[in-house]
Amino acid sequence: MNHVSPRRAALAVTIVTVATLLLSACSTSAGSNGSGSTSGDSALAKVSKGASQVHVSLESKGGKDVCTLDATKAKAGPVTFTVKNVSSTAITEVELQSDERILGEKENLAPGLGAVSFTVTLTGGRYELYCPGADRQTQAFTVTGKAQQTSSNAQTALQSGITGYAAYVTQEVNNMISATDALNTAVDSGDVAAAQSAYAEARPYYERVESDVDGFVLPGFTPTDNAGNLDYLIDMRASNLDPKVGWHGFHAVERDLFQAKKITASTKTLAAELDANVKKLDALTKSLTYKPEDLANGASDLLEEVQTSKISGEEESYSHIDLLDFAANIEGAQQAFAYLQPGLTIIDPVLTKSIVAQFASVNTLLEKYKDPSALGGYVRYTAAVKSADAPTLSAAVEALHENLAKIAEKVATA
Amino acid sequence: MTESTQDGEIHDGEVRGDNDAAGVSRRGFFLGAGGFAASGLLVGGVAGAAGGFAAGRGGSETAATADVVYPFFDQPHQAGVQTAPQKYTVFMTYDLSTVVKTDVQVLLARWSAAIAQMVKGAPIGNPEPAGDSAVALDSGEAVGLGAQGLTITLGLGPGLFDGRFGLASKRPALLRPLPDLPSDQLVAGFTGGDLCLQACADDPQVAYHAIRNLTRMARGTASTRWTVTGFGRASAGPNQETPRNLLGFKDGTRNIVDDADFERWVWTDGSDQKWMDGGSFMVARKIHMNIEIWDTDRISDQEDVFGRNKLEGAPLTGHKEFDTPNFTKKNSDGQLVINPTSHVALAAHENNGGIKIHRRSYNYTEGIDDLGQIDAGLLFVAYMNDPEHFIKIQTRLGSVDRLNEYIKHIGSAIFAVPPAPKRGSYMGAELFS
Repeated sequence: MNHVSPRRAALAVTIVTVATLLLSACSTSAGSNGSGSTSGDSALAKVSKGASQVHVSLESKGGKDVCTLDATKAKAGPVTFTVKNVSSTAITEVELQSDERILGEKENLAPGLGAVSFTVTLTGGRYELYCPGADRQTQAFTVTGKAQQTSSNAQTALQSGITGYAAYVTQEVNNMISATDALNTAVDSGDVAAAQSAYAEARPYYERVESDVDGFVLPGFTPTDNAGNLDYLIDMRASNLDPKVGWHGFHAVERDLFQAKKITASTKTLAAELDANVKKLDALTKSLTYKPEDLANGASDLLEEVQTSKISGEEESYSHIDLLDFAANIEGAQQAFAYLQPGLTIIDPVLTKSIVAQFASVNTLLEKYKDPSALGGYVRYTAAVKSADAPTLSAAVEALHENLAKIAEKVATA
Repeated sequence: MTESTQDGEIHDGEVRGDNDAAGVSRRGFFLGAGGFAASGLLVGGVAGAAGGFAAGRGGSETAATADVVYPFFDQPHQAGVQTAPQKYTVFMTYDLSTVVKTDVQVLLARWSAAIAQMVKGAPIGNPEPAGDSAVALDSGEAVGLGAQGLTITLGLGPGLFDGRFGLASKRPALLRPLPDLPSDQLVAGFTGGDLCLQACADDPQVAYHAIRNLTRMARGTASTRWTVTGFGRASAGPNQETPRNLLGFKDGTRNIVDDADFERWVWTDGSDQKWMDGGSFMVARKIHMNIEIWDTDRISDQEDVFGRNKLEGAPLTGHKEFDTPNFTKKNSDGQLVINPTSHVALAAHENNGGIKIHRRSYNYTEGIDDLGQIDAGLLFVAYMNDPEHFIKIQTRLGSVDRLNEYIKHIGSAIFAVPPAPKRGSYMGAELFS
């Protein structure tokens, strides 16, 4: 529901430039002035169990939080970093980076918990161990020799995910056309019950992908003019109306069908206009390009939608089919996540697993509300359902949202 | 909490000489830290360097509290129990939503690390992390406010030991949900909790920031259950002038303040559960006050309800606040001067087989209720080494206390308070070893 101007194409160009700058700047900035006690030249990691073993210790020493490696060099090949937080309260995560790309990491490293480890296959070059919160945050780590390059696997997987996701969004918007065509036909026929049911059929398409398609401004309009804002024209709710532009789109139709329960000439105009605007949206959607973090941010934004307008019951204040929209937001987020999953599993298997489990628990929760006889297939989200169940729904979504919000950074730097 | 941190707070030049647990005279205090306090140089922005200032609080609290740091690790007990009460609190209880034991373990370890940072006035991670896609760990609203004497006290509810996490054998025998007590009018939404955190600080935003960020850390593991935001400490610590509750009376005049009483009545030993050595039990009660009705009650009746006069806080049988009440003294009509159903008579240790509990309460207000009346009261927090002590006192109070006409116990919970962690460990670590 953000009123954002078109941005993806422009961003894609910027990112390429930034990435190039980073490649040239990074290797010189990494801890080159370090005078710490940890940079002993002879510190070549010992090999055991087929991997070079590096132990990282996080400690509080003399009021400072320090991150210490027992080896600063390794031979090319698998390297296992075993991290133990001995006493540092300021450092709770450690990342292995190369040119600011995250190759491996560990979080939740609080004092008192057991040691944890991650293994990466490294080829010759300079790396940095990044310990945010440490007195000296970046430690140089050098690898000599050559190993088979595996660190780009994540990127390859993410790229193929993007292609799949783009097709999904295009498909959803395309299917939305058939659904708003059907809504328009039903409204034209004057049959309120048929129009109500067509309304419920059409809603999920937008809710699955809205975080990707809510940024379009029609040609000839400025971004601050809601009259040219496609998301405003398609999905604006009563609570956020711009009096200059008036009410258009799904929810204006919803008001007529579910509050007055009457189809007037104005309802017919609104339904026809909605159908036309969805066709414009379809044409514009085909031009979208994505980066991995767009999928991650989109998924996170859909969860934000659930929290701000579905659990509150604000989205469908006349039809009360909020749980249908809720399920569609979750489904859209889960699709975006699923396309990132093969790449994300390589980057952070623990987080990936926990998100998979959290999606499952939200879906299990939603199962309880399924009702094939209800409009849209879910029980009406009445005040009673809301007051009884909103805290539970909100807590489940909140936990998922917190984790989804972590993905963008990981896939952007993979 | 320990002697070195009992910092001899001074209000308007009054010092409670009989309980100078800090061993810091007013003069000594000013010699120690007064140079900074007077010039105001310590206020704000120096939290990272403040670790060495274990104590330092001047007569002008607002200027000098920024750098009060209570140590977190390697203390005999958790801070926030014996610590001289700070001005503000945010109290939060949680339900564990996870069923995985290690999730609980990681949460307690993460909380401990974060608390260790925040009590120094430091953020938990950079509020403005590098990289456009990075999400900050710390929300940032406490940046620049200093430590403000922040303490965060952890409590473990009976639910933690109910078998979900394989911790049943670690349950302290005395940790059981409180029984129904006379006059209880508990509201389900204000009761219980598997975990609780009480943040206390001399700046309300510092306390709020702590609970907000610790709550965020719990997402997916524990969800919020009930909460109270309090102000105007309603129990005195050593060297503090006795504060007042919202009924306008001094509260905590006869509170436990000296170490011997803490040893005798507050701290638990390890005889039942080794991990509770140096711990305590916390009882939290949300007590609604019928403010409008109380305000129109005549002064003589209000004083009869409490058994004390209003301004000085003296027992009706005495002249000064700390005069010992005489519960047998009669007036010329042959009536007891202190009404036997007054609050002070029923709560007094003399009339409860010597039992004492340590109170550390805060006033609260939550706006107005649906009748348009002021929604306010007392977040009663008490520490004791046997919850039966509270039960015994409250059973008497709930049965006949004249005050019951003006108050309503609407919230209730009990928690075991583990001891402070050793450096390199975390609160409750012994539960998982």
